[in-house]
Amino acid sequence: MIAPYALRLFCLCLAVFFLVHTAAAVTVRLLTPAILRFAARFRAHRAAAVLLGARLLPPALALFAVAGLCAPSYLWLEPAGTSEEVGALCLIAALLGVLLLSESLARSIGAAWRSTQYLRACRQTALAQAPAGAPRNVLVLPARKPVLALAGVWRARMVLSQGIVDALTEPQLAAAMRHEDAHRQSRDNLKRLLVLLAPAMLPGVQGFGALEAGWARAAEWAADDRAAAGDPQSALALADALVRVARMGTGPSTAALATSLLADGRDLAERVERLLRPTPVASDSGLSSAVAAASLAAVALMMLNPTVLNAVHSALERLNH
Amino acid sequence: MIRFFKSRDAELGHLETGVLEILWKLGEGNVHQVMPLLTRPLAYTTVMTTLDRLYKKGLLDRRKEDRAFVYTPRYSRVEWERKRAGDFLSGFLGQPQASGELLISCLVDAVGRHDEALLDELERRIRERRKEIGKRRKA
Repeated sequence: MIAPYALRLFCLCLAVFFLVHTAAAVTVRLLTPAILRFAARFRAHRAAAVLLGARLLPPALALFAVAGLCAPSYLWLEPAGTSEEVGALCLIAALLGVLLLSESLARSIGAAWRSTQYLRACRQTALAQAPAGAPRNVLVLPARKPVLALAGVWRARMVLSQGIVDALTEPQLAAAMRHEDAHRQSRDNLKRLLVLLAPAMLPGVQGFGALEAGWARAAEWAADDRAAAGDPQSALALADALVRVARMGTGPSTAALATSLLADGRDLAERVERLLRPTPVASDSGLSSAVAAASLAAVALMMLNPTVLNAVHSALERLNH
Repeated sequence: MIRFFKSRDAELGHLETGVLEILWKLGEGNVHQVMPLLTRPLAYTTVMTTLDRLYKKGLLDRRKEDRAFVYTPRYSRVEWERKRAGDFLSGFLGQPQASGELLISCLVDAVGRHDEALLDELERRIRERRKEIGKRRKA
């Protein structure tokens, strides 16, 4: 297919995205058991960061390959205004890239839409005046079923049901609210959106279920740790709250972009056991920021290197023809 | 009623279950190796008969070594549990008046009871821990 300059760039970017993403995704998928074992050696918040990093690595690498290498080398070295043929391999890879991206886009847009609708419905049905014992700035729903969640991405709101307010004692409710606040501080709903935006391994093949479940679990544990803050009494209050909410049965499903106190009741016993022996929350060292800054500098240097761009351009030519 | 729905292969006595458990732990073994690991002392012939019965039920493989049989479990524990569950379900659903809904409601009840027991246990652990902390503070 003969394609003009801009269309060729578009096809190449999609094809490179698909190829790099697939290679990285398959590698991450194969390494998933090892990654899970590795993450288990860290405290919950660090484990959550490791698992999220592993999940987002394939799209991040693919985006870097496109924006940092493919597009600059093409724009710099490809003669402008020329029309050339686009090879079949490049076209097929580009089409698969479109499929991969459209799947994840549809998934995340759907989740964001449902989340917005959920929050709107909560605002409409929430009690005008919070009942006694309920914290301020939360939406209290007039429902007996257990709802205790942080909903929304940018302006996340805590949502509680009247049933929860009645069932939990003041310290238990405070501990549960600290748990949800920890999710807010860690921007877990935004991370959820990123995970939804991250494409699957291949079109129609998810492949990252274990990694995503591992991250969700570690994020819950990290929020538990933050809520307990190393204080045994707070930890016990949260453990009590977890058991009481579990006794209330399954609540109505909340939005996809919402964290819930008992999102996955399967690890309830493990969470309670952890809370019975709370560990002090470690403060983040500046090491990770330093490593990130150094990596960014290295990447920027690589992107500006003419030898690298020349090599990338010849690889693109091969892919194209 | 449960007995009615059990397949013959799935029916195991206490001794058979115990012997199977030992072989899962050992990986393989003969009568002499299994005997000392049983919870109560039993005659050589009793253990031999039990192993032979398990072999005939298709749960063990065996080979001859130095004039004695060495037995190996044919299924892992997980495979065996799955087979039992499968046999139970197909036995139940094969009945003329079988009701999937009834089966599901029984399963839900069973899981619910299990959850209640788990929650009771967790509450007990929390209470104990609270007492421990209280005592430590007083001390």
